[in-house]
Amino acid sequence: TGAHLGHTSLNIDSLRDLARKELVNVLDSDHGVEKIYHLQPGPLETDCKNLIYICRPQVNYMKYIAEHIRTHTNDPRGGSYTYSLFFVPRRTALCEKVLEDEGVFGEITKGEYHLDLIPLEDDVLSLEWDSTFKELYLDQDTTSIYYAAKSLMRLQGIYGLFPRILGKGDYSKALCDMMLRMRREMAVDDLDASQTMQLSQSIDSLIIIDRSVDMVTPLCTQLTYEGLIDEIFHIKNSFVEVDASLANATSAPSGAGSGGASTSTAVPGKKKKVPLNGGDKLFGELRDLNFAVVGGLLNKVAKRINADYEERHNAKTVPQIRQFIVKMGGLAAEHQSLRLHTALAEEIMNYTMTDDFNKILEVQQNIVAGIATNKEPEYIEEMINKQAPLGQVLRLLCLYSLVNSGLKPKQFEFFKKEILETYGFEHIQTLENLRRLGMLTKQVTTKNTYGLVRRSLSLIVDEVNEHAPNDISYVYSGYAPLSVRLVQCVVQRGKDGKQAGSGSKGSSIAGGSGWKGFEDVLRMLPGRTFDETQRVDDGQPRSSKRLNGQPRISLVFFLGGCTFTEISATRFLASQEGGQRDFVICTTQILNGNTLTDSLIQKVPGLHTTS
Amino acid sequence: LTLMESFQQTDITERINKIKAALRLYQDDKEHVFEAKAIEESIRLLQIQVQLEKDYSHPFTGLSISSTVYKLITINQGNRATKVRGDFKMPDKRFWWIKLRALVEIRDWDGVATL
Repeated sequence: TGAHLGHTSLNIDSLRDLARKELVNVLDSDHGVEKIYHLQPGPLETDCKNLIYICRPQVNYMKYIAEHIRTHTNDPRGGSYTYSLFFVPRRTALCEKVLEDEGVFGEITKGEYHLDLIPLEDDVLSLEWDSTFKELYLDQDTTSIYYAAKSLMRLQGIYGLFPRILGKGDYSKALCDMMLRMRREMAVDDLDASQTMQLSQSIDSLIIIDRSVDMVTPLCTQLTYEGLIDEIFHIKNSFVEVDASLANATSAPSGAGSGGASTSTAVPGKKKKVPLNGGDKLFGELRDLNFAVVGGLLNKVAKRINADYEERHNAKTVPQIRQFIVKMGGLAAEHQSLRLHTALAEEIMNYTMTDDFNKILEVQQNIVAGIATNKEPEYIEEMINKQAPLGQVLRLLCLYSLVNSGLKPKQFEFFKKEILETYGFEHIQTLENLRRLGMLTKQVTTKNTYGLVRRSLSLIVDEVNEHAPNDISYVYSGYAPLSVRLVQCVVQRGKDGKQAGSGSKGSSIAGGSGWKGFEDVLRMLPGRTFDETQRVDDGQPRSSKRLNGQPRISLVFFLGGCTFTEISATRFLASQEGGQRDFVICTTQILNGNTLTDSLIQKVPGLHTTS
Repeated sequence: LTLMESFQQTDITERINKIKAALRLYQDDKEHVFEAKAIEESIRLLQIQVQLEKDYSHPFTGLSISSTVYKLITINQGNRATKVRGDFKMPDKRFWWIKLRALVEIRDWDGVATL
């Protein structure tokens, strides 16, 4: 497979170092943390006298902390405690107000821990702010844009200014504007610092794609290995929780841990957390592949490992034996990871073999391909009748609505009624949420925007070779994610990227044509399109020299979240560039269709338990 | 919104009152004919459910229409289920699916056979 597997030339370590150093600073007040507790409601029982809270600036967390403090002060036995609170990534006025109202404001020393972009992988940075999508698009709360801008400014502080910023979508534009403004403000506040800012040598562009530009992609079932793991088990902060029995297969010979992180704490109970990252070489090879080929590859690896073990019979002389023993350690680790992934793949297989899965997939493929039949709405109706999970139903229904620019009025009413009567009237709110987001709407025109976009960007590719992919559409077995197609537009000029390989080798985005040639398509998609150039003011000639042999890097920022499959597709773009260009993906959070619809479904606590 | 508040009310009469308040808000607005109608239905459902709870001493409130019908069948109240179905003009297709699933749940194979 491709040589590019998550190892970009951008040195992410400097970002990691910074995060580490700051954490030490935060904890500096009293080195030596005795115990770590998870923040939760209820009184905190602890022997420690110095308490440090590190948490997101959220109101409920403030309430928990206030409760802790109050129980401590009311406890006659209790001595004096000191409290420190660090907001990640930033303090907010609202939280301070809550602390004030709770009457504990004065008792706490407050600070900030600027952990914003967390490197999940060498080429994936995420704010890991799970509610961004809902906050931005439903509540129109733009706090996350501010966080995003701050984090990008920090990146610019480390790597230099991004020479060019391109993007699509209204919120993308807002993010870009905010960054430019922050830079201007910096020039006012601190002239020296702003003048030492150089154009980045390694990063030549930032491409911002706003989730509202492409809502279709996250609703589709992901078909890459990592994507499917996420769909079925849900990957959270690059860890996946699986049945202990599944994970136990791997924990047999511990010690030579395959990943960097260690989950040594064997949790009693049924679930176990397993790290999934590029440190696991096998996973690195598998993650971006279409699941269809994963089985074959696992088999091949198994055979190779077996053959490697067999080599011991050939080791006759002492040096040969010693050499083999050195190799053994690596083999054991590989073996372990093979066992884990075989077990995971089997589980996924069980799931993908079910009729429901295949039926849903078929319907979904027909919808995105625009093959119009009556079968799709019929199937959705059947799902409702069977009381399939509401999230699943909404994923398909929204997809159907988005692709057809809305449902026909009669259909629209029908499905709304069906959903309310089957899943409960509280979902009036759910439906309203979806309507406001434009995900489930009544058809007003017969103009089919998606259809036009699909044709002009060739989103549907009929012949897909999952084994030797030649287009990003392999990730969804035939559907090319719109969001990544847009990135491709910028990077590979020429309609379908055919010229990209030969003509534009090493072309620089900084001086490139940007969106040119795609204006028509972009106009059909929601939100503004922009293309900004950042300059250094000191009159110095723009240094776009690149270090010898170093590929250029494009930063791709998915505002409002992206899926693992989109990450895979972006990596694939890099592999097509033949080492000339790398991508680093930034996002506010990783999402999939389930987490997305789930965040929009109205939840009524306790509704179904009242009697 | 008032509506969401209403669903959190544990007391049924209180809940109905809240829903009614929400209903008035929706009725004022021509854009929300559908929602207003849905809310009216939800009140009717709650009233039926209160009656059902009295008759069978099983919890019903909070269930959707489909779940109510489903539950009635599983406690062998097929006639009552058919009545609820009629009250809300449930489409045949959905009703038969519910009935099938419910009968399978209670392993009433005779019932399944006579569908």
